[in-house]
Amino acid sequence: MTNLQLLALLPFMVLATAAVVVILLIAFKQSHTVIQVTGFFMMCAVVLAMWFVRDTLPREVPPLLVVDGLAALFTGLIIFSVLVVGLLSYIYFEEREENPKEYYILLFLATLGAAVLTISRHFISFFIGLELLSVSLYALIAYLRNRNNAIEAGVKYLMLAALTSAFLLFGMALIYMETGSMEFTAIGNAITKSGTSVLFLMGIGLIVVAIGFKLALVPFHLWAADVYQGAPAPVTAFIATVSKIGVFAVFVRFAQAIHLHENALAVTVLTVIAIACMIAGNVLALMQQNIKRLLAYSSIAHFGYLLVAFLSGDAGVGAGVFYLLAYSITLLSAFGIITLLSTRRKDADELSGYRGLFWRNPLMAAIFTVALLSLAGIPLTAGFPAKFFILTVGVQQHMWLLAVVLVLTSVIGLYYYLRIISTLFASPPLSPAKEKSLHPLFYAATYTSLVVLMFLLAWLGIFPGFIIDNVQEFLVIR
Amino acid sequence: MSSIPLTHILFVSTALFFIGVYGLFTRRNLITMLMAIELMLNSVNINFVAFNKYLYPHTLNGVFFSLFIITVAAAEAAVAIAIIINLYRNHRSIDVEDAQEMKY
Amino acid sequence: MDISQVLFYALSAMALGSAIMVVISRNPVHSVLWLIITFFAISGHYILMNAQFLGIVNLIVYAGAIMVLFLFVIMLMNLNAETEPQKNKWLKLAGVVAGGCLLLVLVAALKQAEVKGKVAMLETGDIGLIRNLGKALFTDFVVPFEISSILFLSAMVGAVVIGKK
Repeated sequence: MTNLQLLALLPFMVLATAAVVVILLIAFKQSHTVIQVTGFFMMCAVVLAMWFVRDTLPREVPPLLVVDGLAALFTGLIIFSVLVVGLLSYIYFEEREENPKEYYILLFLATLGAAVLTISRHFISFFIGLELLSVSLYALIAYLRNRNNAIEAGVKYLMLAALTSAFLLFGMALIYMETGSMEFTAIGNAITKSGTSVLFLMGIGLIVVAIGFKLALVPFHLWAADVYQGAPAPVTAFIATVSKIGVFAVFVRFAQAIHLHENALAVTVLTVIAIACMIAGNVLALMQQNIKRLLAYSSIAHFGYLLVAFLSGDAGVGAGVFYLLAYSITLLSAFGIITLLSTRRKDADELSGYRGLFWRNPLMAAIFTVALLSLAGIPLTAGFPAKFFILTVGVQQHMWLLAVVLVLTSVIGLYYYLRIISTLFASPPLSPAKEKSLHPLFYAATYTSLVVLMFLLAWLGIFPGFIIDNVQEFLVIR
Repeated sequence: MSSIPLTHILFVSTALFFIGVYGLFTRRNLITMLMAIELMLNSVNINFVAFNKYLYPHTLNGVFFSLFIITVAAAEAAVAIAIIINLYRNHRSIDVEDAQEMKY
Repeated sequence: MDISQVLFYALSAMALGSAIMVVISRNPVHSVLWLIITFFAISGHYILMNAQFLGIVNLIVYAGAIMVLFLFVIMLMNLNAETEPQKNKWLKLAGVVAGGCLLLVLVAALKQAEVKGKVAMLETGDIGLIRNLGKALFTDFVVPFEISSILFLSAMVGAVVIGKK
């Protein structure tokens, strides 16, 4: 391995170092606050490291890894989301858990797993990155182990994730048998030479099952609602953003390398999955009274929309990245509000608890409203241009069916998002919840970051051009 | 060894995989379900080693993949056992059907 | 039939038979013991396929460490045939049908791949020796090696955090 290759991996090494630094801080009995602040600066250091190495990209680290523009974009998104999740975690865990410190080790290691997924171009790094992400997630989901729901969610995620990783491995074995290679581009070359066989398609199918599970695509979405509900709110935000971004990144790279878009059968299957996601996600969310479950179903629908961009091939990648950015900011602000409203006993996941929030806390209600409007794709919020770009590439590729379903299901989606918003502005219940004022500094920081996220949403909604140009600039580095 | 056709090895590994799938679907005891998953991972390992040896003997990819699968399975089992023990502490049982409190 | 063929078919029968016993025996302790026998048979397969190091690692890690862990947990929870929950007959039947169908599909697909099975040949017997593996592990595969060490760190922290009172 040469120096330049090591340099390209610098951000990932800094990320791993962050976990070790947290371990050392715990060993020296530092307080939660110290760990939180150090973790924040370590994540900033990762961003700096990425800025530092950007001129050396793209760089291959054979045979397993490649650090290119796509990887840099997705890793940037992941680090951004973790910064916000980390900030939300402080107020959440400080009063719930007697030892909230080890949480940060697991958080950073799971992030490293997702980041490894974005740079992997080989089955071994794909598998190890995915497992690093899942093993850390098992522990994160079950972290509040005294609450039954957390353990139950952990058990469900554990069993299903282990089952799907066995399927993933079997699929990889079949592809290895057919092509003799585990590297994505080599597999692509092998199948352009010899064509696809039944076993190869079966292998792809098994891999799609595993990826579909991680992205909670229909019909592999059964875990999503339970795990979203049972996991601690910041961890749910992490699952909804970081883990899905990482898996989506590796899926994009894999599909590009093996020319998945030229295979009629695969395209048909993915189209059906996309339509099923959009319809099932939106319909299941309609009657939901639990906000966390509702967001789970809504994220199923959103990944259906994202699959439309994915199916458009290379043209759709830019739109997909923009969509993921808008989606992450939106979900992080929504989960930020859920975290702020959660009490010691229970997460604030009942819709009835949000009744009249506007009259109690106008700022929170405003942030939540903007987030929900963005999820619904209303103009002037980030959700609108994001959906618009996807629709544009879909129409350009003549995927009329998908485009029509996307528009129709978005209209269904409007209904339940507006239902929550109307709850926010309804007359408040008799007994207003008491304000918590335990950690004024961190409350201020959390509020500030949520307000920043809200303005980001509006800015992306009004001037999306700047970001989309930058995204395209990154995507050509390959 | 060369006289054994690859398909026979593949049959053994595929059969092991689906015995694992069957076990996972029919058992309710979490520990036994975990054992069924270990069985599936092992069948995949046989696949990788056999493909490596029979089809692409000049590389070591398959053997390495098996090695990594074994390491990952060990790590996964450790966390899984910790979660199952916690479930047992809360419920006094490790029947999956007891872990069904969340409902719509 | 030469000796390696006899060994192969004996080991396969042993692996499949004990694997079936793993999923059907009512007592979890028996399941663990049958699983250990399966692992021995699979290690035998590895050694037949010249992956000696892998065979030994499989025994040490699986039969030696993971299964002992399982046994301890089962004894800790005092599980036996009486406490074992049973699924009803229809679910079992559904399990058999689902597993059997998938198996049939895969076996049928594997049949098509028969062409490739004929090229099986290997002259060198040292492919799975530690020397060769080690060389590649610390050159080509050094990054995943490091990442798997991080994976263990994560598993360790996770198990300790979740497991402690």
